[in-house]
Amino acid sequence: MLTFQDLILTLQRYWAGRGCLLGQAYDTEVGAGTMSPQTFLRVLGPEPWNVAYVQPSRRPVDGRYGENPNRLYQHHQFQVILKPSPKDVQEIYLGSLRAIGIDPLDHDIRFVHDDWEAPTLGAWGLGWEVWCDGMEITQYTYFQQTGGLELDPVSVELTYGLERICMYLQDKSNVFDIEFANGISYGEVFRANEVEMSHYSFQAADPETLFRLFDTYEAECKRLLELELPLPAYDQALKCSHTFNCLDARGAISVTERQGYILRVRNLSRVCAEGYLAMRERLGFPLLQSSWAKTAEVA
Amino acid sequence: MARDLLLEIGTEEIPAAFFPRCLDDLKRLLVEGLEEARLEHGTAATMGTPRRLVVIVRDVAERQRDVSRDEVGPPLKAAFDASGAPTKAATHFAQKVGVPVEKLGRTTTPKGEYLAARVEEKGRGAAEVLPGILEAAIHGIPWKKSMRWGAVHDAFARPVHWILARFGGDVVPCRFAEVDSGGHTTGHRFLANRRIEIASADVYEESLREAHVIVDPAKRREAVRAAAAQGAEQAGGAVLDDEELLDHVTWLVEKPSPVLGGFDPGFLELPREVLVSEMKGHQKYFSVTAKDGSRLLPNFVAIANTPVRDPTLARRGFERVLAARLADGRFFFDEDRKVPLVDRLDQLRKVTFQHQLGSVHDKVERMRATARWLGEALGLDAATREHVERAATLAKADLVTGMVGEFPDLQGVMGREYARASGEPTEVAIGIYEHYLPRGQGDDLPSGDVGAVVGIADRIDTIAGIFGIGKPPTGTADPFGLRRACLGIVHVVLNRGYRFSLGALVDRALDALGARLARPAPEVKGQVLDFFRARLRALWSEDHPVEVVEAVLAAGFDDLVATHDRLVAVDSMLGDAAFRALAEGFSRTNIVEKAPAVGAGEVDRDLFEKPAESALYESFVAAREAVGKELGAGDYGAALRELVALRLPLDIFFNEVMVMAEEPGVRANRLRMLTEMRELFGRIADFGRMDLKRAGGR
Repeated sequence: MLTFQDLILTLQRYWAGRGCLLGQAYDTEVGAGTMSPQTFLRVLGPEPWNVAYVQPSRRPVDGRYGENPNRLYQHHQFQVILKPSPKDVQEIYLGSLRAIGIDPLDHDIRFVHDDWEAPTLGAWGLGWEVWCDGMEITQYTYFQQTGGLELDPVSVELTYGLERICMYLQDKSNVFDIEFANGISYGEVFRANEVEMSHYSFQAADPETLFRLFDTYEAECKRLLELELPLPAYDQALKCSHTFNCLDARGAISVTERQGYILRVRNLSRVCAEGYLAMRERLGFPLLQSSWAKTAEVA
Repeated sequence: MARDLLLEIGTEEIPAAFFPRCLDDLKRLLVEGLEEARLEHGTAATMGTPRRLVVIVRDVAERQRDVSRDEVGPPLKAAFDASGAPTKAATHFAQKVGVPVEKLGRTTTPKGEYLAARVEEKGRGAAEVLPGILEAAIHGIPWKKSMRWGAVHDAFARPVHWILARFGGDVVPCRFAEVDSGGHTTGHRFLANRRIEIASADVYEESLREAHVIVDPAKRREAVRAAAAQGAEQAGGAVLDDEELLDHVTWLVEKPSPVLGGFDPGFLELPREVLVSEMKGHQKYFSVTAKDGSRLLPNFVAIANTPVRDPTLARRGFERVLAARLADGRFFFDEDRKVPLVDRLDQLRKVTFQHQLGSVHDKVERMRATARWLGEALGLDAATREHVERAATLAKADLVTGMVGEFPDLQGVMGREYARASGEPTEVAIGIYEHYLPRGQGDDLPSGDVGAVVGIADRIDTIAGIFGIGKPPTGTADPFGLRRACLGIVHVVLNRGYRFSLGALVDRALDALGARLARPAPEVKGQVLDFFRARLRALWSEDHPVEVVEAVLAAGFDDLVATHDRLVAVDSMLGDAAFRALAEGFSRTNIVEKAPAVGAGEVDRDLFEKPAESALYESFVAAREAVGKELGAGDYGAALRELVALRLPLDIFFNEVMVMAEEPGVRANRLRMLTEMRELFGRIADFGRMDLKRAGGR
């Protein structure tokens, strides 16, 4: 049986074998693998980019004190970006399912319409959720825009929901029962984190502090952009986004204020994206010349 | 000799919602292209699956039709100079039409003589023009949402992988999104993932069938139906009919294959609608009922796209997903029932109905006031009026429950269930559910007064409110569903036979909106009533001649039931020759409108000069009494039959009497008589406006 970490290792090996760089999780809180600079910034501009990484993703509102069998404050996404999207990406993706033991002749694999949009990122794309016997196992998106900028070439993003897939492969109905590695369960690794983070999100977080932090991060982001430092500026934008999520979970933002906060984060994402693109341009889009890009033809 | 044209665009999975529209568009574009290119052709038909858009055009001609056309050039006097040599204008024209100047003809127009030429255009071979036609059609499909991929700059609904284009046995070379056309297709993604040569349109469908693809959507739909039935049969039950789901699933699979699954029978205690929504909404499973349809069985049929090797393996997956959803559903159901419905009202303050019109709580307050008035206007008994008031109060409380948050479609259903659980009277519970009825065309109508009255109050509040802030529906944009709301009121009122003043109802709704109105109430009322008139005209014209509908509406529509009765009565009289003659004769009374006003006054018998005048008046007076009685009893058919007695005297009157007499007193008296008659007729319809030649008999 594939353990949680076997699943990660198998996917890493598969995608590394197809020319992907193995990235590491980003170290600022994010709600999804898409927000990592390895996706959000790298899909901008003409430079090629093929990467695979695991991203712990925090969703404060989804915390359930470790008591719900399916919902988590923090789950793990296995994120793949292929830029430009190769022609046979569906086939390559199906190969990854075979690698982890999901054979399309044994399971009903379906590409079911699902358009993706992230308002705080000014991003949208078209694609599917991939179903395995009626269960969503991957979000599959052709990015059309991020940070409000048209993308050319287009990247494809594959986001595997690791916990879900693992529950399925191990035939577990509770996420905490997943075997993380031999002899240790997912619950033993993460349940305490779930309990405390839920407690923080719903009770202990101090809205006043969070509001102040939001303003501070926002100001920092803008200041850094003026200094033409889009990478540290983007970190501040991510912190803003996470702070907003915390306030939201805490119930501190009213329905009417909500849209205003989303727009503020979206605005930061947009200016960071523009700043990053300008920076790469100043550098002459170096990856266009890289030998890695030339040899790492995905397939 | 003509040949069949086959075009198949092979793609990644296109959203089900885009079908069959995109196929119709592709066909239309292709046929338009052929016609513009003067290529004769036979019938065109579409087929398709989530991965392919297909059009087959039969008998496309080998060559374009030859054409000749006359071109007119510059005027003769500008074509040659004084020496008779051709000017620049002449040589330019000659060049354009490809005829030497000396061979150009002449044509005479009212403006003078011009150079002219007949241009013969020889048709080109179809093979030459087809590539352009195909490419233009593929490019032209108007997608609701399209995308780019890779470094390709053409946009399509999803990435394009192959283009199969055959003209008879030849490949039509064309190119789109960096894909070159060929003579092959691809089979089922998992069962026949290979190139398959297609020699011509004739073998296309069969070759794909062998490659595990049912490419004809009508056949695939039947296969889905059969697969679902077969699955249900295994469980000893029957499929819950759902044509909408059938349509949807047809566009999710290329080869349907049933997987029967089950769930814990304990979940059957959830309301049936919840179970069906859980199965259908996200999972697209078919529900299974007992053979007689009486109750749900703890089973479902999922339609897989692949006949998997070991169905038990896939079944476990399907079951597991549903079990998690049902567990969620039961959680919501249990949690929601812990709070009495009435205790949720406060939360409605936080739900915005429309920012200028306030919260749902505000809406409920208005609904209650209007519903109370309507209950009284209809003379409902005290107990029912009490139920109306309560149901209006609770009608929207389920919007803030967990279950409706998860499944918005269950609004009303959950209100009913939770009202029951909270110990509300049955009439109130049912009224909460039924106030949403009808949800669309052909849907059920409320079975009792409570749902009907609350529903009318709800809809008139929305209509009056949205008009009141100046956001009426425009063209296809009707974000608040005002057209549906209006039709909902009409259907409910007619179904229940409610007699009340529509104008007064609108007044009540506007009163309740009060300061929230952004425009003066009388102006809004006028707009709302015009909106009703337009909807009534559209609705009733489906079953009655539009001229009759207009004539009836012109006589007013404040009482919808009476208006409809008048319409039916007039329409049923159209076959009666005497009635048609009467109506035609009556249109001559329109003269009153053009005549100067005569002021108030009684008809004076002493001023009659001709026998035809007094004959008409006496018949009219007699008819007026009889008609009045019938109108009072609401029998418009009988009233019309009474009026038919006036046909002869009316005809004689107009033939023998000159209405616009010289003598002012006589003239005014005649006009007064006609005005009185018009008032009586006008209580049924504006006959002067009814063009019976257009309306036709029935």
